[in-house]
Amino acid sequence: MKDLVFFLKLFKPYNFWLASGIFLSLVTSLASISLLTLSGWFITSSAIAGLLAPDGVAIAFNFMQPAAEIRALAIIRTLGRYAERVVTHEATFKVLAEIRSWFFAKLIPLAPGHLANKQSADLLHSITQDIDALDALYLRLCSPIIIALLGGGLVVGFIAYYSVYLSVIVLLALLITAVIIPWIFNRLGQGGAEKITEQAVKFKVEQIEILQNITELSAFNAYTRFKKQLLHTSEQMITTQRSNNKLSALSTALTLFLSQLTVVVSLVVAAWLFQQQSISGAVLVMLVFTVLAVFELVMPLSSAMQMLAKTQMSAKRIRDIADLKPLIIEPEQPKEINTDAGISIKNLSFRYSDQSPWVLNNINLEIPQGSKIAIVGESGAGKSTLLQLIMRFYDPQQGSIKHSGIDYQQLASDKLMQQFSVLSQRTELFATTIKQNLLIAKPSASDDEITLAIKKAGLNKFIKQLPDGLNTWIGEHGSKVSGGEARRIALARVYLKDAAIILLDEPTEGLDKATELDVLNALEKIAENKTVIMVTHREAGLKLVDKVYKLEQRGLHELSNLIHAGANFS
Amino acid sequence: MPTSFNSKNQKSYDDNQLREHRCIEWLKDQKKPVRHLINITALIGIINGVLIIIQSALFAYILQQLVIEQQQIQVLILHFFSLIIVFILRSVCSYYSPVMGFKVAETVKRSIREQLLNKFGQLDPSFRKQQQSGELAATTLEHAEALDNYFSRYLPQQIIVSVLPLIMIAVVIPINWVVAVIFLVTGPLIPLFMALVGMGAASANRNQFLAMARMSAYFLDRLQGLTTLKLFGQAEAELITIKQVSNNFRERTMDVLRIAFLSSAVLEFFSAVAVALVAVYVGLGLLGLVHFGPAVGISLQEALFVLLLAPEFFNPLKQLSVYYHDKAAAVGATDHILKVLEQDEIKVACEESNSHSTEFAIELKNVSKHYQQKDIIHSLSLQVREGEKIALTGESGVGKTSLFNLLLGFEQPTEGVVLINGEMASQQNTQKNIAWAGQQSNIFYASIKDNISLLDTSLSEYQINTVADLAGVTDYSQYLEKGLDTLVGEKGYGLSGGQVQRIVLARTFIKNLPIVLLDEPTAHLDQLTKTRLLDVIDLLFKDITLIIASHDPDVIKRMDRVIDLT
Repeated sequence: MKDLVFFLKLFKPYNFWLASGIFLSLVTSLASISLLTLSGWFITSSAIAGLLAPDGVAIAFNFMQPAAEIRALAIIRTLGRYAERVVTHEATFKVLAEIRSWFFAKLIPLAPGHLANKQSADLLHSITQDIDALDALYLRLCSPIIIALLGGGLVVGFIAYYSVYLSVIVLLALLITAVIIPWIFNRLGQGGAEKITEQAVKFKVEQIEILQNITELSAFNAYTRFKKQLLHTSEQMITTQRSNNKLSALSTALTLFLSQLTVVVSLVVAAWLFQQQSISGAVLVMLVFTVLAVFELVMPLSSAMQMLAKTQMSAKRIRDIADLKPLIIEPEQPKEINTDAGISIKNLSFRYSDQSPWVLNNINLEIPQGSKIAIVGESGAGKSTLLQLIMRFYDPQQGSIKHSGIDYQQLASDKLMQQFSVLSQRTELFATTIKQNLLIAKPSASDDEITLAIKKAGLNKFIKQLPDGLNTWIGEHGSKVSGGEARRIALARVYLKDAAIILLDEPTEGLDKATELDVLNALEKIAENKTVIMVTHREAGLKLVDKVYKLEQRGLHELSNLIHAGANFS
Repeated sequence: MPTSFNSKNQKSYDDNQLREHRCIEWLKDQKKPVRHLINITALIGIINGVLIIIQSALFAYILQQLVIEQQQIQVLILHFFSLIIVFILRSVCSYYSPVMGFKVAETVKRSIREQLLNKFGQLDPSFRKQQQSGELAATTLEHAEALDNYFSRYLPQQIIVSVLPLIMIAVVIPINWVVAVIFLVTGPLIPLFMALVGMGAASANRNQFLAMARMSAYFLDRLQGLTTLKLFGQAEAELITIKQVSNNFRERTMDVLRIAFLSSAVLEFFSAVAVALVAVYVGLGLLGLVHFGPAVGISLQEALFVLLLAPEFFNPLKQLSVYYHDKAAAVGATDHILKVLEQDEIKVACEESNSHSTEFAIELKNVSKHYQQKDIIHSLSLQVREGEKIALTGESGVGKTSLFNLLLGFEQPTEGVVLINGEMASQQNTQKNIAWAGQQSNIFYASIKDNISLLDTSLSEYQINTVADLAGVTDYSQYLEKGLDTLVGEKGYGLSGGQVQRIVLARTFIKNLPIVLLDEPTAHLDQLTKTRLLDVIDLLFKDITLIIASHDPDVIKRMDRVIDLT
């Protein structure tokens, strides 16, 4: 609940829109109830008046006004419904936009440390869905509840004007159907809701594993067995969903039955009042019709309560991430950074958490400005981790890293980031045009600068053959460009950013021989006069560097000469 | 310029229409096996509608008796009783309608998952490589689930809409034909209405759905790229952009929705007007002010009955427009599912599939393989004798993986013939003859034992233990608390590269097949681990035809022959 309240507070700037939406819904619902109620009263009054009139024509009865009112209600209901839909959608879009930028702002200090691991892509994917699910908080939770409360209250008050007894009965029935039943079924459904989430995660993990290993599985003739196992998990999911579905069907049916029962009871009470002559025949019909219509306010609540559990979980997951503590603590008074400077690493040891094994042990490394080094070692030795520490994704548990002689702890991390350009085996491309992807490196870049960057990166031939040139849309995660082209885009970014230190993390991994050579040649020119730190297990890259270090469990040591280094690859 | 822009737009619009049509056709096919279940679900809805008619009639009768005939309540006890029975029946309907609907959805979901899983097994490996497994996995989970409501609610409601209003009109005509005409006129005949709602509500829902999907895709894109944005110092700037983009999306979507909502407003308007018209007409009739049609001499009972039916007449249609969202969601999900199902399967070569007499375990005759324009393997001929040990070398990209795929029958050669023990290479052949370990060593989140047996229950505990011993898995598993039952993989115990490789070797060996292919088994291993692993390979595959793709001199040294693909 806490989590939901938190998000409701976040909606505050849009209270006007939210309130307008609810107000319009309320007006529309009341108009709808009134239309039926007033019509019932009008018809009955007419019947009675018609009966009493001697010649069958009741002149005395003022039929003009109620008839006009009925028409007015019909119009109000139509316009109200339209306005309500427009306003609630507007409000929902606004609120979602707010949550998105709030979440993004929360995530900025958490990146990259908390987002660097493998699962984070999936995590972010599900978080996006969670944020979308929060639209239910307003549309399907708050709005129906408030409308049921206000609308129900008004109708009960209206009934009380004619009969307090009857109003008490209706009030009780509303409480049972709007509060107690939803509450009970929310309780009953909680286990099932959690279970289905767990099972869905299990299904997803199994499915991804099968897909990643499908070639192997079919070669081993094991695919059928794994498929069967997955379908079994699917059956488990379906079983849980079935019982969840039955529960919700039961709650709807029960609500319906109770509301209908209330109508019968109200009919009996109203008939008794009529026979006592405390109300007229027309009022009798009107009251019965009112009770019949009022439960329309309550019907959405049982599904709202089922949404509640889901929305709560979404809200909690979003907050769990947003409340993470940043791994990097910014200094209060950061020191000025000297652009042309080297990096020195002293006695550095690092592990990802207190429980996990040490990844880096007592590393010492001097990287003077303008030097070019490579770090080699078997996979899992911590090469990429070392690069991430140099970029200050994390702080080491022991030892220190200094830039221009100043400890990282005393530098502002955004200023530090400006010192680095990165080229890695995975280029992060955005779903926009090539040009926009390049401009991320330098938003102020002129067209001439971009043209030069493209040339330097060897992209010009590729871009020339595209009908839309630089304005070509490259698809999600750059799915419309090849690995080599993506790498060249990243290279052009490196050139545009023009940072003093270039970090290369397996820069040619996954490229074919010819492309690898091309990229390395381009890189050599771009990296002239810059500091280069490269992590690689491919021989080809070593021509860029003057020194090679080998990273092992025991620590980091320089390899005596490059030929020896080369032998480590064969 | 504008004309070319328009024609481009028109084309993409037409493509979209075409695609949507294709999706809807496919959804129709999925409907076939569950048609009777959908009909039953719809029937429950129709019964519920009929019960509403009976209930309205009972109400009208009771109120007539009370107000006009001045009857005592006691006289009407039987009618009250009937009313309660109708209510019970309606509650039962309201329970069984979603329960039956679920049955429809569950059957469809099961069949779609099976279709997808069967397809996955037959997909060309190159397609699988292009797609991220997360995206593919979404088809069996999220996208399959997104079809639920379409089958469980939307389709049954479509039937209800075409039946229930007709029943109501049929009931009303003998009682008051003017009201029946009002129904027919205000709902300018159901088909016309359907078209109106169909176009309007459907496009509104589709637009909203698309806008939401696009917006969250954009947001996800930027979230996943946050590290990059930070590296370029653009994170704060992106925050502003996200706000702007959200606002632009909202404005554009709302422009569309404001128009689209009009169509449902029309539906709303007609239903409200129908109630108002009926009320005023019968009211004035009761007053004796109307001298036209059956209003003359109308009773309160008849008047209340038609009044109560008026909103119910429009209800099924309104419900359907609420469910239009389900259809938009289903079409969207179908698009993803079809992208997988429409992929080409690996072609199985049928011709001359049997018995080429050959003395070789593996024989390639003039085999070429092209991908698009690229010539990966060019006219390669090769013979491997039984028991021979071959090292396959060459820089990466020269076609080692493609050659393996040809041998395994995952791909077919563009030209030439690949024979395994005298038969054409195919997946069936592979299952009889070849055990294979890929470049990325694959460990499942399961016990070591299950990772060796790959869930093959025909293997005995003893066999697994023996193989684990031979492959050197026991060397490290004996120090683990649960031994071979230790969970490894994604969330389990973290194995080193060498430890993983030994499990993979055990898995390969336990198949007990005459040919073994290993792709870079020593990559990323240090010297000591490598030597140990190669010893294990020598031991396990002593009498077996073995091909190892590798450029590691230590590996090459131990083989009988080197084939360089460069």
